[in-house]
Parts: sequence; structure tokens; C-alpha cells
Amino acid sequence: MSITLDQVTKHYGGVPVVNDVSLDIGDGEFFVLLGPSGSGKSTLLRAVAGLSGVDHGRISLHGRDVTHVAARKRGVGLVFQNYALFQHMTVAENIEFALRVRRMRARARRERRKELLRLVALEGLDERLPAQLSGGQQQRVAVARALAHKPEVLLLDEPFGALDAKIREELRRTIRQVQRELGITTVLVTHDQEEAFAMADRIGIMNLGRLLEMGAPHDLYTRPATRFVATFLGAANLILARRTPDGVQIGGATVAAAERAEDTRENEVVAVVRPEEIEVAASRETLSCGYLGRGVVDEVVFTGALERLRVGLTDEKHAPLLAFGDGESDASLQVTRSQHEQRSFEVRPGQQVAIGVRRVHVLPTPLSSFTACAPSEDLAERLSHQPLLAELAARMKTRITTRSEPQLGIPEAPCQGADTFVGTTVLAAYPDSAQRAEWLLRRGARDLLVLPDEARAPQRVLIHWIGEAARSATLAISASVLRHVPAEAVYVGIVPGQADAAGHPHGMRQLLDARSEAQAAHGLEMRTELHFGDAEQQLARRLGEAPGQMLIVGVGPLAHFTERFRQLLDGGRWPVLIVHRGVA
Amino acid sequence: MSFRQPSILPGFGLTFGFTTVFLSTIVLLPLAALVLAAGSMHWSDFVHTVLSPRALGSYRLSFGASLLAACINLVFGFIIAWTLVRYEFPGRNLIDALIDMPFALPTAVSGIALTTVFAQNGWIGRYLEPLGIKVAYTWIGVTLALTLISMPFAVRAVQPALLEVQRELEEAAETLGAGRLYVFRRIILPTVLPALLTGFTLAFARAVGEYGSVIFISGNLPMKTEITPLLIVIHLEQFDYQGAAALGLVMLVISFVMLLAINLLQAWGRRRHVRAAS
Repeated sequence: MSITLDQVTKHYGGVPVVNDVSLDIGDGEFFVLLGPSGSGKSTLLRAVAGLSGVDHGRISLHGRDVTHVAARKRGVGLVFQNYALFQHMTVAENIEFALRVRRMRARARRERRKELLRLVALEGLDERLPAQLSGGQQQRVAVARALAHKPEVLLLDEPFGALDAKIREELRRTIRQVQRELGITTVLVTHDQEEAFAMADRIGIMNLGRLLEMGAPHDLYTRPATRFVATFLGAANLILARRTPDGVQIGGATVAAAERAEDTRENEVVAVVRPEEIEVAASRETLSCGYLGRGVVDEVVFTGALERLRVGLTDEKHAPLLAFGDGESDASLQVTRSQHEQRSFEVRPGQQVAIGVRRVHVLPTPLSSFTACAPSEDLAERLSHQPLLAELAARMKTRITTRSEPQLGIPEAPCQGADTFVGTTVLAAYPDSAQRAEWLLRRGARDLLVLPDEARAPQRVLIHWIGEAARSATLAISASVLRHVPAEAVYVGIVPGQADAAGHPHGMRQLLDARSEAQAAHGLEMRTELHFGDAEQQLARRLGEAPGQMLIVGVGPLAHFTERFRQLLDGGRWPVLIVHRGVA
Repeated sequence: MSFRQPSILPGFGLTFGFTTVFLSTIVLLPLAALVLAAGSMHWSDFVHTVLSPRALGSYRLSFGASLLAACINLVFGFIIAWTLVRYEFPGRNLIDALIDMPFALPTAVSGIALTTVFAQNGWIGRYLEPLGIKVAYTWIGVTLALTLISMPFAVRAVQPALLEVQRELEEAAETLGAGRLYVFRRIILPTVLPALLTGFTLAFARAVGEYGSVIFISGNLPMKTEITPLLIVIHLEQFDYQGAAALGLVMLVISFVMLLAINLLQAWGRRRHVRAAS
């Protein structure tokens, strides 16, 4: 491996800007770090270059641990967005800088310089000053300069950001060519997905300091695992669908699900439908693919090769539910159509159409939508505006519905609403939260978020499960939550009894297992802690130690739930997400 | 070719006229009077006055101490500016404000304060005395006073230039393998050199013209610690206006030549280094 990052973490003022990133980049690979601004990608690149230290984790280049090695001894070449050329030196002096530092002889320097200038197609400009060159030429000089000392790794920090479209295209080709010719391992940081697609062997997508997913461009586009990647890489319609034993039911259509279901119970899932996978036709009969629903064309935008439509869904019984938006009428499907499709069926704004869907990808995320549940509609409505809930829903691009249960918490009283609970149920914290939580869990709620009024986005999320039945689901949900909040994840292992020699090896094994499973199966990097004693008591103690913490706890059977969870839930001192699985 | 450049704001005629009149009244006219006054002397008198051993001694001290002070400020002014620009520390704004104190203080006050501290029985002077170092009433004291009053010029000239040195340039140099000293020598210094020279020039010019603070600390011994401005005042007190004007003219010429030389050097450096384009 050329570059290996192991749990690299960097904080600025208490906020993790790079959060537990582990990554392997192979020899000669062109790796692109893609993410919105502020996602931590540049900080990560600077950490690899040695220009900023890390708070935690290790960085190795070609098997050499360089975590504490100064930038000048790392043997990397770095190219900056605004070139950072030495203005008082000529092109030749700029390129020879690294060689001069290494006391290379003038003759050898000149030869190397000629070679590099040929590589970046700037022959004959040796004696110019940077200010006499165009932006594209300056960046070429910067690339040549970064390659002069034959670094093992080339790092490019948004190198095309300051250039206009045409030059950008040209320089992209040059860099890709140089990279192939030298076979040098390269990491490019960008926020432009088109650039990432055009250049990368592999893309890693970052958001909020975390490396969410990585893979070949095509795989990431067609089979994203997270909402963020689905919507960041090109446009995507996120639709709430139901997974049934027969397949995935989305609007009027049922499509076979490729992915294996976690359990046989029917549950809500999030489906990704790319705009180019949607077909519109005059009627249901003329569609050549599965029928999704009916709609009205809101907007037609001509963009050259493609036509962009916005199609509002008509209210009917099996209308698909858009995950995005809050149920207002402005929520509409994005559709793109090729010239060919435009010719075979022309549409105008206001036209009624039948909508079909060619391909659906179901996100493996276990969190679909939120349902704020309270004894009255007013309280449920108020709960749905709770800041943390609103923030989570906005970041997850999902909807919050409300549900009133007048007899919430009264033992033996039946449910008033529908007999199934969809998505994650949200409960406001009360003095008797534990009892209310049990009431909901016993009546079918599977994921339950108990939310104090004043709860805000946490800085740390503690993860624990009681009983192995909920293990996998807890990890999956934790991974999903942590993709949307910039918090650190800590798995709390708790061994019953006293801290003694007998419990230790067992506890350590538990921690390692949890960590490796989280990493392998869910892409979640977490720290681990080991405590001894009663689970609920230890968790309550740990949560009480500092503000800004949240708990995600998995539970199996519900026996004695209210008594056990009283200290964690009653009074609502912190947000708790209960993951209930494995009921017989 | 016309001087006139198209501009958003009108009034070139007005502003140029004002500039000319203002400069003439305040600067050129008095200087011309000085030349005239000196010119009315007999040639041998003139030579006798400006080349007298006492005058020669005063030139040496005036220009020598000023150059030395400007050099000291070049180094320490840079360090102070560096500290203020590059580091965040409590009291930074206070120190930043303190830099300007020598601007605001009447120079005589600075002189008295320095003398108090550096006289043989002063706070610092008494510890230097046993070491055989006399500050007050020697050329060292003169240099010290000149350094103090010209320091703000050096700092304020370098500060904005240092602010503009991009961190990325240093980082680029670092990833290319350069050590700190190398980065400083090859990247930072060349970038701020024009500003450093400006600071040097300003500090030097200020020091040459200084009078108030020096007369207190120098002791004013003829041939030893007597600066040219003081000698001019002495001539004036003896109603020898022509002699004073002659010495003034010599100072004027020497200063002008030195400033011109530095300016030409700077222009040459600019042409050679930065932005030959456009």
C-alpha cells in the first residue's frame, strides 16, 4: 500500500474536522477525495502532506510510519489551489527549488527541469516569471515543481479551482497523463463530482469529517450505500418504499430487491431513483417499465443534450412518498430525458403523465423517516419541531410525520393509530419516559428516539447493546446516525461484575469484535471503552460525565424494561435511541 | 504623451495644481531659501565652515549613528513585526499600540527618559558602568536615542508586507524539502525585501533629522558627541545664519544622495524580481 491511514482524527476547537478516517491507497492509484466544502478533505490531505498534525491515528507512506515526520522529510509533492509559486523566481528556479535544496548539481538540475517541462508541455518557458504566465500554465509549473524531487506520492488540493472550464479540461488530461506515465500514487481533493468521475480510479466521499464511502466511480453512482452519497453524486430522487416479502413496493410498482432483507418483517426503506431512470408516458399502458404513479409536469428545462423535468406527484392511494420535503406540494420528482425520449413523447408544463421507473436502488440504511408520537396532535406537532430532530431530518433529507396516541403510556391500553409503526418513532422525554417507551416498543415500535426538549446535535455518541439479538441492527443504525452528525462514536463495552483479571480478556475481546464488525460491515469507525458493572448504571454514569452526549442502545427482550431503563430515560437528561430487535 | 489617465474621479487639474502649489510652498521654497542663504557666502568661508574638523566630526556622528540605528531597526524591527504578525498572544494589541509611542512623544521627553535610565547612576546605566560601558554622553547613547525614535518606521513598513507573505508559499517550500532557515532566506526574505528597504530608508531619514532626543543624552562634546543639527543650532545662536545654512545644505545634499541611492536600488530590485509583466 502506498498510503495507509489508520483512524486519523483531527479536531479544531473541540469539533472533529477529520473523524476516524481509515483508508488504503494502492501503488499508482489515482484516488479522489470528494466532498462539500468543510467536509475535512483538505485537512486530511494536509495531514498526509505533514502540514498539519493529527490528534489521533497513524499515517504511513509506503509502509513507513510518518505520523510524526516533518513535511519536508515525507517525500510528497503538493499542489495548491492558487499555485503558490514563488513569484520572485523564474519558472526554472521554481522547478529546481527542490533540487537546489537537495544540492543537486546544476547540470543534473537542468536536465531534470527540461524533462519536467516536457512532461507538462511547457517547453521553452524556463526564464519566464510566474506573473507572466496564464493560470493554467502556472498550475502546470506547480505540478512540475511538485514532481521535481521524484516524490512517492503526489497530492493535489483542488488544483483546478481557480481555472476556467476549458483550461480545466486540458489540465485534467495533462495531469492524468503525467500520472499514468510516472505511475505515481496520486490523491486529488475536489468538490466537483464531474472532475472526480473523470479522473479517479477510486473515489472516497467525505462529509462532516467522515469518510462515508469509497469505491469505483460507477459502483458509487449506481449502488450508493448512504443518502448523502446518493444525492451528492449526481441528482437522485429519494423515495420512501416498503420492503415486503415479495420485494420492494414503491408507489404502484413492486420490484425485486437484490439485497437480502435483514429480517422478514415488513419495513420502510429508502429507495434511490436516478432522474434518468424515470420514464414518463401518456398513460400507464404505454409505459415500457414498472408503473410508479401519476403526475403533473411542473417545469421543463432544456439543457442541450438533456431535458430536465420536474414532475409533481398526484395524490392517490398508492402514490409514492418522497422522502425529501415535508409533504408540501413543492416536493416533486426530478426527471432527465434524452433527445430520443423527447422526440418520442413531447411534454409541456401542466400536462398529465404516467410515471414509470426502470431501476430502483434500495439504500441499506436502516433509518428511513421519523414519526413524532405524543398523546395529542398538538404535542406531536411541537415535538416534530424539536431542534435536534429537525436537524437530523434535514440532514438525512427525510420527512417527519406526526402520530397521536391519547393513551400513550397507559398499561394495557391499545394503540389508536395504525397498527404498524413506520420508520423511527420519536418520543419526547417525560418524567416517566421509560414506561412510555416500553408501551411503544411493546406495540411494534422498533427504533425509538427519546428526545429531551433542549437536546442539540451531540458531540459524542455512545453505543451499546444489551443482548446479542440487537447487535447488528444497533451497529447499522449507529453508522447511519453518525453519517449525519459530526460526532465521535464510542462503543462502550460493559462486563458484569467487578474489574478483575477474569473479566478483562473477555471484555477486550468484546471491544475488538465490536470494532471490527462496525468497520467491516457498516463502515463505522469507533473508539472503544471498557467498563465493569451493571450496564444501565454504567451507561447513566458515563452519560452524566459530560454534556453533549447521546446514547444508542440495542435491546432484545423487553422483560423489566421500565425498571431497568428508568435511570437512563426518565426525566430526559440526554437523547437516547433505542434499537429493539430479536423478539421471538 | 499626456499625463492624464482616464479616471473615475474627475479633477485631475485641480488635484495636480494643489499638489504642485503645496509642495512648492512647504518644501521647495524653504529649501531654495536655504541654498540662497548658503550661496551668499564667500566660497572660502563656505569651505572653511563645512570642512572644519568640528563639522566633519559632527557629520561622522550624525550619519554614522543614523546608519547604525537604521541597521539595528532593520533587524529588530523585522523581528518585532514578525512576532506581531505571526503569533497570537495576550497583550498583542497593547504591544502593537506601544510601537507608535515614539511617534507621539515629544522627542525631548524620549531623550530625558533615556538619559534617566542610562546615565551612570540610572536604572540600567549603573550596572553597565562597572563593565566599562558608558552609554549616556557617548556615541552609544546617540545611537540608542536614534534607534528609539526611528523604530516605528521600520516596524510599520515591514508589517503589511509580512502580512501578505502567503502561508502557502512556506508550506510549498516545506513539502519540497526546505528547512526553516532555507525557507526564510529564499522565500520570506526576498518577498519582504522591498518593504525592509523602505523601512530602512524611513528610519534612516528620521534619524538624520533628529535633534530633540539626542541633545539630552549626547552631552554635546565638540568633535565627540556633537551631531550636525546641534552644530547648526550653535551657529544660529551665534547669529551665524550663513554658517548654519551651509551646514544645512551639506546635510541636505548627503541625505538626498543617500535616499536617492536607496530608492534606485529598490527600483532596480523590483524590476529584477517582482512582476516584470504587463
